[in-house]
Amino acid sequence: MDNVLVRDSISDLPESIIETILTKLPIRDAVRTSILSTKWRYKWANLTHLVFDGKCGTLCNDKGPVEDNLVKFITRLLFLHDGPIHNFSLSSAYLQSSPDIDQWLLFLSRKDIKELVLELGEGDLALTIRAPNLKYLCLEGEFKDICLENTPLLVSISVAMYMTDDIAERFEQSSSCNFTKFLGGVPFLERLIGHIYFTKYLSIGNQLGKPPITYGHLQIVELYQVSFEDMKEILVVLRLIVNSPSLEELQISGSSNTSAATEASDLDFGGKECPTDCTFGLLKTVKMTDMSGVPHEMEFIKFLLGNSPVLKIMSVTPSVYGTDARINMLIELLRFRRASPDAEITFIQD
Amino acid sequence: MMKSYIWLQNDDGSIQQVEQEVAKLCPIICQEIHTGVGSSKHNPISLPPQVNPAMLSLILDYCQFHQVPGRSNKERKSFDEKFIRMDTKRLCELTSAADSLQLKPLVDLTSRALARMIEGKTPEEIRETFHLPDDLTEEEKLEPLKNMTDDPRIRLLNRLYARKRKELKERDRLKNVEVEEERVDDRSVDDLLSFINGGKDSKGVKSSKSKKKNRRRKDQQRNVSFNCTPISNDASSSNNATEVHTKDSNGLDYMCHVGKIHNHVGEMLKLQDVEDDSFVPEDEFDDGDDIDDGIDPAMQEELDREVEDFARRLNSDWPERMQEILSLGQQRRPVPISINGNGTTRRCEI
Repeated sequence: MDNVLVRDSISDLPESIIETILTKLPIRDAVRTSILSTKWRYKWANLTHLVFDGKCGTLCNDKGPVEDNLVKFITRLLFLHDGPIHNFSLSSAYLQSSPDIDQWLLFLSRKDIKELVLELGEGDLALTIRAPNLKYLCLEGEFKDICLENTPLLVSISVAMYMTDDIAERFEQSSSCNFTKFLGGVPFLERLIGHIYFTKYLSIGNQLGKPPITYGHLQIVELYQVSFEDMKEILVVLRLIVNSPSLEELQISGSSNTSAATEASDLDFGGKECPTDCTFGLLKTVKMTDMSGVPHEMEFIKFLLGNSPVLKIMSVTPSVYGTDARINMLIELLRFRRASPDAEITFIQD
Repeated sequence: MMKSYIWLQNDDGSIQQVEQEVAKLCPIICQEIHTGVGSSKHNPISLPPQVNPAMLSLILDYCQFHQVPGRSNKERKSFDEKFIRMDTKRLCELTSAADSLQLKPLVDLTSRALARMIEGKTPEEIRETFHLPDDLTEEEKLEPLKNMTDDPRIRLLNRLYARKRKELKERDRLKNVEVEEERVDDRSVDDLLSFINGGKDSKGVKSSKSKKKNRRRKDQQRNVSFNCTPISNDASSSNNATEVHTKDSNGLDYMCHVGKIHNHVGEMLKLQDVEDDSFVPEDEFDDGDDIDDGIDPAMQEELDREVEDFARRLNSDWPERMQEILSLGQQRRPVPISINGNGTTRRCEI
């Protein structure tokens, strides 16, 4: 029909451009390019950036088949894939099953994975990650256990850990030290972000003495929903920041129940976890949010203020509940000694 | 204010002078400037071969706009949207040129535009947009995708096809076969016929039809000619029985009639939702059957011809049709249908 020889100008573009184009497509459209022509047959298979999100599965409300289909799709796609996979991102509220995910992770670890994002829904997932080239890790979901077994190059970790009560109970009985299991092998860590139950998860298990490594590159720590009534959680935070000489930015959000934490028991910050000459030599910014004004919180802030010689900003945001505690908080804040002459304390009202 | 200029040399040898601030947006040019090249007419920067004068002009337009610091994001976006409005050939060339100069923002922009032309489109549409040759066999088209879904409807369809094919194989073996190589064609045609007829007492009808077809095909040259190419190449839009070249005078009637049937089928295929059993509402075909029964042989022959041609077209369309249908039914998954090995009957050369 076409008498004029119209050139196919797209198929011979350099591989990097084809990859850029295919990466901007939803994964299914990218895979379907394989039936366009002989040249396109395996172009998708060299993608190094795979993103599976809610649009992959069928739009159907029944969880079982959706999960099934998604698992099959991913498994088969991985089977047909060729070449390294540098980024793998999976977001699906439906996905629970553990054996497939373990296998995918094993497969990915052999494919030179550098960035891994897993955002899952409910489910009892025990995750073990062995990925020697992994640099960026982002996890979200209900995890029973997370073990970073071989991830020496990790630079950035972000974990949002949901937990049901029964998992929490099981935790209490665990004997292994979660802190070491998770943070024991990441010497190049630069950024750590933990949400919801992450700090509680780290607090479980026996952890006396110094952690196995110093986090010499750790610059940013953000821990949310830290329960300041739980001494063990505070110890986790302390343990982390005390062994991070390069720490520059710290953000902690509390989740305390004011009524429960009236006794300031054994609040010895200078105790076993911290050497008496503990100094945060590079700490410049501290943000404390959702503060209820409980004694532990105030002691923690006092500790930071007293040991951060280059601190610029200490911002405190009270929690929306318990407005009566605010005056007391302010009074105490005023009194605290500051090691840094430049330190500004800002109290943020809504 | 003095503007500094640099000299660029195109692939064809021509040299032009360009504002330095504008050209510096391209990293490659920037590098060259740092090494001293480009400052004079006699020492111009040689542009990569992908950058011809037309592309250079476009790229410079882009740089010219974006290097002005005061523009708002909205302005930039709006410019970008207008900028990429060009035919696909130029878009591909521009992507290649921008890539060779490492002008990443422009590569991103053009890649996104190209991705938009691919996303959500059927393979035929994509092939048409980019002038891709349709050079995969039916088998190849299905092969990588066969693994990708496990839809129960497709399995049903596969089973039905398999069963019919087996039946036909048996029948063929008993028949006296002169035309060896065309048997495969017959099978697919009969396949679909009987399938479409829903298996209702089609065995008798089928065998008579196929016998007739065998006989007819043996001795005709002229009739077959207008069966094939003109129609089948229009497969992409199966709703128009468009430009039809016929050699026979009575072929004209044939054509119109076929067009009607084809439209008919088009309707049918559109109507059906992804329900299970009847892929083709049997009512619609009752007409055809009624016409068939108890009429004179000449009419019968003509109708046989029509049906055969229609079925052949349907056979070649079927994979893409099914994909379309299934994706309309909110299933964005390609369809593995194992059609027998002959592949497409689309391009039957005589």
